[in-house]
Amino acid sequence: MTRFATLLTTLAVLLGLAASAPAQDRARTKEVVVAFAAEPRTLLPDTIVDWTTNNMVEHMYDRLVDRDPKTYKPSPMLATGWKVVNDTTWEFALRRNVKFHNGEVFDAQSVKATMDYIKDPANKTHYLPRWALLKEVQIVNDYTVRFVTEKPWPGLIDRIAGSDFLPMPPKALKEQGAPALAAKPIGTGAFRFVQWVRDERLVVERNPDYWQTPAEASRVTFRFIPEFSARLAALLAGEIDIMKDVPPQNVEMLEKSGKARLRATVSSRINYLALVNLKPGPMQDLRVRKAIHAAVNVDELIQQVLKGRATKMCGSLSPINVDYSPKPQCLKHDPAQAQALFKEAGVDPTKLQLTLDTPSGRYPLDKDLSLAIAAQLQRVGIKTNVVVNEWGTHLDKIKNRTTGDMFFLGWGPALDAQNTIEQLFLGKQTYSSYGNNEALEAKINQAVTIVDPKKRLEAWAEIQQLVRDEVPWVFLWQQHDLYGVANWIEWTPRADERVWMYEAKLAR
Amino acid sequence: MTTFIARHGRGVLGLIIAALVLVAAVAAPVLVAQDPLRTDFAVGLKPPGTPGHPLGTDQLGRDLLARVLYGARVALFIGLCCVLLTAVVGGLAGLLAGYYEGWLGAVVMRVADVQLSFPFILLALTINAIVGLGLRNIIVSLSVAGWVVYARVVRGEVLSVKEREFVHAAQALGLGRARLLFRHILPNVAPSIVIVGSLQFAQFIVAEAAISFLGFGVQPPTPAWGSMLSESRDYLYVAWWLAAFPGAALALTALGINLVGDWLRDVLDPKFRV
Amino acid sequence: MRAYLLSRLGQTVLVVFLSLTAVFFLMRLGGDPVLLFLPMDIQAKDLNEFRERLGFNDPVAVQYGRFIGRAIRGDFGESLRYKQDALGLVLERLPATLYLAVAALGLTFLVAVPVGVLSAVRRGSLFDFFGMGAAVLGQAVPGFWLGLMLIYLFSVKLGWLPTGGTGSARHFVMPCVVLASFYAARMARITRSSVLDTLNEEFVLTARAKGLAERIVIAKHTLKNSAIPIVTLAGLDTGQLLGGAVITETIFAWPGLGRLTVQALLNRDFPVVLAAVFIFSVTYTLINLVVDLLYGWLDPRTRRERARA
Repeated sequence: MTRFATLLTTLAVLLGLAASAPAQDRARTKEVVVAFAAEPRTLLPDTIVDWTTNNMVEHMYDRLVDRDPKTYKPSPMLATGWKVVNDTTWEFALRRNVKFHNGEVFDAQSVKATMDYIKDPANKTHYLPRWALLKEVQIVNDYTVRFVTEKPWPGLIDRIAGSDFLPMPPKALKEQGAPALAAKPIGTGAFRFVQWVRDERLVVERNPDYWQTPAEASRVTFRFIPEFSARLAALLAGEIDIMKDVPPQNVEMLEKSGKARLRATVSSRINYLALVNLKPGPMQDLRVRKAIHAAVNVDELIQQVLKGRATKMCGSLSPINVDYSPKPQCLKHDPAQAQALFKEAGVDPTKLQLTLDTPSGRYPLDKDLSLAIAAQLQRVGIKTNVVVNEWGTHLDKIKNRTTGDMFFLGWGPALDAQNTIEQLFLGKQTYSSYGNNEALEAKINQAVTIVDPKKRLEAWAEIQQLVRDEVPWVFLWQQHDLYGVANWIEWTPRADERVWMYEAKLAR
Repeated sequence: MTTFIARHGRGVLGLIIAALVLVAAVAAPVLVAQDPLRTDFAVGLKPPGTPGHPLGTDQLGRDLLARVLYGARVALFIGLCCVLLTAVVGGLAGLLAGYYEGWLGAVVMRVADVQLSFPFILLALTINAIVGLGLRNIIVSLSVAGWVVYARVVRGEVLSVKEREFVHAAQALGLGRARLLFRHILPNVAPSIVIVGSLQFAQFIVAEAAISFLGFGVQPPTPAWGSMLSESRDYLYVAWWLAAFPGAALALTALGINLVGDWLRDVLDPKFRV
Repeated sequence: MRAYLLSRLGQTVLVVFLSLTAVFFLMRLGGDPVLLFLPMDIQAKDLNEFRERLGFNDPVAVQYGRFIGRAIRGDFGESLRYKQDALGLVLERLPATLYLAVAALGLTFLVAVPVGVLSAVRRGSLFDFFGMGAAVLGQAVPGFWLGLMLIYLFSVKLGWLPTGGTGSARHFVMPCVVLASFYAARMARITRSSVLDTLNEEFVLTARAKGLAERIVIAKHTLKNSAIPIVTLAGLDTGQLLGGAVITETIFAWPGLGRLTVQALLNRDFPVVLAAVFIFSVTYTLINLVVDLLYGWLDPRTRRERARA
C-alpha cells in the first residue's frame, strides 16, 4: 500500500470507525469486549510463545488436546483419544467433521503440515526447541496420526495439551504461505477473524459452523489498553467487559461499582523468592537458607499485602500441578528457630547484608512484596537492599547470575513437574537459581524418562521432598488471578490462564 | 507600591514558595515525627485525618506527610544536580563552540542536533535502559538529555558578545584567549545560564515524574514525588490522597521555581529569548 | 538558494546517520535483546541458536556494517517482538501520532498565542495574572497525572468522553488537551514575553508616534516580528511532540509511534528502535528546514545574511 493511502486509511480509522457501543447495546447484540495490556505479537499460531498472543490466537484456532477446566488433566479437543503405542510412539485419533474457516477439512494432513511448519528452522518459531524430542508425525490414515519421538517422551501429552500445537490448514499454508495466514487467520476455532487494527483492537465473530455448539457471543473485540488505571476506568465506564489483574486493593471498589464484579481463580502460576546458591555467599549454606525461610512470615505477606489473594505453597509444585505430591510439609515461620539456625551456621544476622532483586509490576505487587520481605528480615536484624529492576534487566541478571543473594520471580503456567522442576533446579538452566547438587540432578534427569505413570509420580514425589528439604526458595504461593467481569457476563476464569470467550455465558 | 508588586510580585511569591519547599526539605526530620520508610501493614491505605497520619498512609503503611516532606529533598537534589551538571557541561561546550567556531563549533552543534532530533523523554529512557534505575542514574540520564539547551543558548550569546567592542579592545591589548573567555566573555553570558537554569530546574523535577511513570523511577524505599505519583496509579480509585498530595507538592514546587525564573529573567536580561 | 537547500540536505543525511550510529551502539550496551523475545523456559543452547540465527553473535563491527548496508536500502530488519518489518511497523504507527501532534499543535496555537498576545497587551491586568498563572501551572503539572484525572472525571464520573482508543472526534479531545497542555503553557509565556519585547522596539514606538491605530500596530508590526521565537519553539516542539506523545499515547491507548518506541526500548526490539530513530531524525531535520525557510519570510535580514553566507 502506498504511504499516502496508509495515511488516509489511518485518518479514516481514527475518525470514521464507530467506537464500541455502550454496554447495554452490546448486551443486546451479544458483543463482548476484552481488554489486554498489549496486542498480539502475531496472529500466526505455533510461532511465538506469549500469553497475550496465544489467548487471542486460540479464539480462532483450536488445540489438538485441551485441558479440562476443573481437573487440568488433558482432555480431547481436535483429538478424540490417544494412546501410547510403544516407548517412542504416541497415537492420536482425530475428530471427524471439523472444517477450517475456509472450508478445508481438518484431518491428518493438517496435523502433519503444522508440525512440519514448526520443525522447519526457516520459520523461526519459538516452539521448535519445545518439540526437539519429536522426530516426525506419521499419517496412519485420514483420522489417525502417530507422533514418533527420538527418545521416550512421557511428557509429550503435557506438551501437546496446550498452545504448543494448534493445527493450521495445510492447503492454505502451502498455497498462500505463512505471511498470508498471519494477515488473515484461518483456523477451526469458535470464532472467525474479522479485522485487526494494529495496536488498537482485534475483532472476531462467532463461527456458526463450529464443531461444538457455536459460541453465545456473536462478536468479540479485544482492545489494547496499556495503562492499568485506564483499563479499570474503561471497565467502570462500561466500555469494556473483561480485564485481568485487578489489584487486591481495588476489589472492594469494583464490587461496589454496580457495573462489574470480581471473578477470581487460583492460578497455576507460582511466585517464589529464590535463594541463590549458584555463587559463593551466605546462601550456599543450607542452614542459612532454612533460617531465612523461618524468618519470613508468608502468611502475613498474603494477608496484609495481597489481602488474602494468594494460596500458600509448601513446596515447588502447586496442587494444580498434575505431578503434585502432598507429602512435603510446610516450613514454619519461626523467628526463634531462625536465630538458632543462624547461630548454628556461625552467622550473625545483624551483620548480614543481603541484596534482593525484584521486578516491578510484572507480578501482583512484586515490588511491595519484596519491600515487605525486606522489612520482615529486618526484624531478625538482617539488612536487605532491595534492587528494583526493569523486566529485561531482571531476566538478564538472573541469566548471567549477577543478581544479589535473592530474587523474586514467578513461573507459569506450571502444570507439570518437568516444566517446573527441570527448568528451575538444574544449575545449567537459563533461569535457575539452584545447582551444585549432583544427586538431585541425577534424580531429575532420570525422572523425565520414566514412562510408567505411577512410577513417574513416585519419582517426582521423592524429588519434591528432596527439593523442599534443600530450601532453594522461600516457598511463597500460587497467584490468584483477579479478573474484573461485567455484570451481564457469566464467565469463570481458568487456572491455566486461558481467557476464552467461548466459555462466556451471556445474560438474557 | 503597585509598581513594585507588578514588577516583582510574582518573583516574591515564587521565592516564598521556593523557601517553603527548602524548609520542608531541610527541616523534614524536625517537622514530622514519622519515619517515611517505616512500613506497617496494619495501617495501609488509611485516608487523611487518621490519627498520627495527617495526610494518610500508602499501601505499605508509610506516612504520606513524611514521604512528601522527605520527597522535597529528593526533588531539590535532582533539580540542583541536573542544573549544575548541565550548566557546567553545556555552558562550557557552548562557550567553546561559540568562541572558537570553526570545526569545534560545528562538531558541538552537530552533536546537539543529533541529540535534539531524539525526543527528550525517549533519550532519557534509552539511557536509563542502559545504566539502570535509581536516583543517581536518573540524574545522569536527565543531564545527558538536557545539556544541549545550554550549549545552544550560550553559543548564541557568545557569538553576539564576541562582536562587541570591549572584546575587540581586549584582543587588541593582547589578552590571552583563556583569560578573555573566562574573565570577560563568561560574565556577560552568565545571566543567560542562570535564567535557563532556573527555567530548567522545575522541568527536571517534572521529568523525573515522567520517567518514573514509564517504569524507571527512583529506587524504593527512597521517597520521590515522581515515583510516588507513578505508584499511586494503581490506587487511584481507592486512595486519591496518594496522587493528590505528591502531585500538589510537585506542581507547587515547579510553580515557585518557574516564578523565580521568570523574575530573574525580567531583572537580569529582559531581552532574553530562549 | 539551491546551494543552501543542498547543504541543508547534506546536513540532514549527516545527522540521521550519526543518530542511527549512536543509538545502534548505545542499544548494544543495554543487554541481551534475545532474552526478552523468547519464552522463559528456553534452554541455553536454544537461546544461543536464536542469537546465532539473528546475527547477534557476530562481532559488533560486522553487525553494524550489515545494518548500514541494509538501512540504506530502507531495510531495518524484522521486529524482534512482532513478526513484521520494522520500518513498516514504524510507518504504520506514524500517522496516528502525526494527527495527534498536529491537533495538539493546532490547539496550542489557537489557545496559547491569543492568550499570550492579550496578556502582553494587557500587561499587569487580571487577565494577565490568571493567564500566566494557568500557563505556569500547565508547565508544572505532570501530563500523566492530568490525563488520569481527566479520565476519572469525564469518562468514569460523567461519561461524556471515552477513556481512550480511537474511533471518533470525541476520542481526540482528552489526548489533545493533555498533550498540548505543556506546550500551550510554554507557548503562551514565550508569546507574551516576545510580544512585550517587540512592543518596546523602536519601530513600534515609531508606528505609535505616527498615530496608527493600536490594533494595526499590534497586528501588522508586532506579530510578524515576535513570531520568530514562537516559530522556533513550534519547530522544536513538533519534534518533541512526536516522542513526547509517549505518555499521552500510553494513558489513552492511542496507537501511535511514541508508545511503540517506548515499548520497543523496554523490549529491546533493536530493529524497531532504530527505525523509529530514523523517522524521528528525518522529521526533526525536515521541520528545522521548514522553520529556517519561514525565518527567511518573517525576517528579511535573515534572508540577506543567508545569501551572503
